[in-house]
Amino acid sequence: MAQKEIAPGARVQLAVVEEVLNLCRANSLWPMTFGLACCAIEMMAAGASRFDLDRFGAGVFRPSPRQSDLMIVAGTISKKMAPTIVTLWEQMPAPKWCIAMGNCAISGGPFEYDGQYAIVPGAELIVPVDVYVPGCPPRPEGLIQGFLALEDLITKGEKRNVLRRFKRKIVKGR
Amino acid sequence: MSLEDLKEKLSKVVEPGDMVPRDYEKDGCLLEIKARAEQVEAVAKAALEADCFLESIAAVDFTNGPQIIYQFNSCTSISRVLVRVQLSRGESVVSIGSIYDAALWYEREVFELFGIRFDNHPDLRRLLLPEDADFYPLLKDYGKVHAFRSTEDIYGE
Amino acid sequence: MANEFLEPITEQTFYLNMGPQHPSTHGVLRLFLKLDGEYIVEADPVIGYGHRGHEKMAESHLYEQFLPNTSRMDYLAGLIFNHGYVAAVEKMTGIEVPPRAEYIRVICAELNRISSHLLWFGTYVMDLGGFTPFLYSFDDRENILDILDRVSGSRLTYSYCRFGGVSRDVDDEFITATHQFIERLRSRWDDYHNLVTKNVIFIHRAKDVGVINREVALRFGCTGPILRAAGVPYDVRKAEPYSVYSELDFEIPTGTKGDALDRYLVRLQEMEQSLHIIEQALERLPDGAIKAAVPHKVRPPRGDYYFAVESARGAVGFYIVSDGTSYPYRLKARVPSYGNLQVLTEVLPGTLVADTISILGSIDIVVPEVDR
Repeated sequence: MAQKEIAPGARVQLAVVEEVLNLCRANSLWPMTFGLACCAIEMMAAGASRFDLDRFGAGVFRPSPRQSDLMIVAGTISKKMAPTIVTLWEQMPAPKWCIAMGNCAISGGPFEYDGQYAIVPGAELIVPVDVYVPGCPPRPEGLIQGFLALEDLITKGEKRNVLRRFKRKIVKGR
Repeated sequence: MSLEDLKEKLSKVVEPGDMVPRDYEKDGCLLEIKARAEQVEAVAKAALEADCFLESIAAVDFTNGPQIIYQFNSCTSISRVLVRVQLSRGESVVSIGSIYDAALWYEREVFELFGIRFDNHPDLRRLLLPEDADFYPLLKDYGKVHAFRSTEDIYGE
Repeated sequence: MANEFLEPITEQTFYLNMGPQHPSTHGVLRLFLKLDGEYIVEADPVIGYGHRGHEKMAESHLYEQFLPNTSRMDYLAGLIFNHGYVAAVEKMTGIEVPPRAEYIRVICAELNRISSHLLWFGTYVMDLGGFTPFLYSFDDRENILDILDRVSGSRLTYSYCRFGGVSRDVDDEFITATHQFIERLRSRWDDYHNLVTKNVIFIHRAKDVGVINREVALRFGCTGPILRAAGVPYDVRKAEPYSVYSELDFEIPTGTKGDALDRYLVRLQEMEQSLHIIEQALERLPDGAIKAAVPHKVRPPRGDYYFAVESARGAVGFYIVSDGTSYPYRLKARVPSYGNLQVLTEVLPGTLVADTISILGSIDIVVPEVDR
């Protein structure tokens, strides 16, 4: 829990405002439509009717980077595409986050081998990644878990996310 | 158009000895034609007259030079025909883009992956790789391959 | 003096770049358009943003190690690509596939084809602005993915086929679930037709848009629903029957004009034909082994081989040159979206920018398949 510091003589406590803002940001993340390869289909399936992403506030996929605050790098990053990804990342306004979805975005995936000439092995080499969602492709439930982890990251702890009505059970040793 | 019509048209362009029938069940094609680089345009024209479409252009790299394989197929009857053209490193071939529009992109791909130039191609630039790439990836002396053989090792001639 | 103003001072055209990040280009495709107002003067598709070097990978990987790659080339019809690759190597090596495995492969391939067409249906209408059919078709698609997930272990990129058969057997629950799915999808046709096919806005955006006639389609090597909508009944399953398609009875739906509406109707009818094929195959599913005994590393004889299958987008071919070892010497995948995409250079000039989305969607390309 962050200590609420009251500066001497201050009338306004800004730390609470920041927490409320973080809560709002976490529960209405607007992703950018950025599917590169196979993982894009699972991202679409996560936003479709069965694994609804809209119930987490993230159902509004924006085509323009200037209107979104989350970039989900879904798919293999080829060397030809890498400058575009960096441009799009820089066009997004802060605060912004990035999820690397799928093995290709994490570390090159099944395409990384000794003589690979065409891909960038991992999104973290070009943009700062916050959450990694492994899988080839990850199930939509996996992507949703990635979203929830990102929400935790934004609100800095499960106890702060008062809108969530359930408690996640983390079983160690599985 | 049946295979016989196609063979008849092709016999005006290539020697009958260069037209080798293949077993469709095993190899997937009915006829294989060995052509030289100068005969490619005439062969393509004959295939166009026989109502074939260009299915694919592939290239394979051997120690005695790259080899281009043109594949023609027809939608009226099975007549998949492979046309094999053996080149030496650095040799160029006439583009058949004026006969078959499909060839434009296939030839660009072969150029950027193998370095084979196609004369009279209206727009020979990189297709798949970044514009500033200066290597030809599918050549056997680039990157990691398992073997680099000659046509004799594989086809016996 | 007044005539001076009639002379054009500057050129009217300008360049517009669509992509590679664009919601409607279905992947990382870049369309470089030269526009005169809203009309397209020249269109140049720029591809390569998804190039992963599959063909180079094949030269240093075993035949078995390359199998997962095939499913990632066209991830919407992954099982069909699996089938094509595995059957190519089987023909080269002379491996006999047991009949039960052949029927299972056909059932799964047709389910995959339906799921690909359902996804196309949802995304095409979503591109045109209608969001609801996307939710309906994805719901139906999830049923197929449940069925295939149970038997193959994966929802999207399958590696279910093995040299000599399939990896796991299907059980009664698979058969019941497939029957239930067929019933359910058949009951949905009315919904789809009422929502989309009879919708005036959709018809205005698809009728007479992007006409690809027979001559243009053959010049560019297009196959699949584009060629069939132009009136040519060419389907690899009928022209060069493979697996057990020669024993099954189905029709090839064709169109007349080759516009976007014809391509749409051809694909809907193909889904119905696929259901028909699945029913017949389920009825005739024999008992027996699901995989022939093959050596640990297959070693095809020397030479070159080609094998063609019909994917959701057209004719797919695997051309393999083997040098007698267990590593391919050269593997080339002939993909249908290559020719299908190139036809845009001919069809787009003269149309409006808004029609580009409709034409591109109706052609149904998957860009990583083009880039390989």
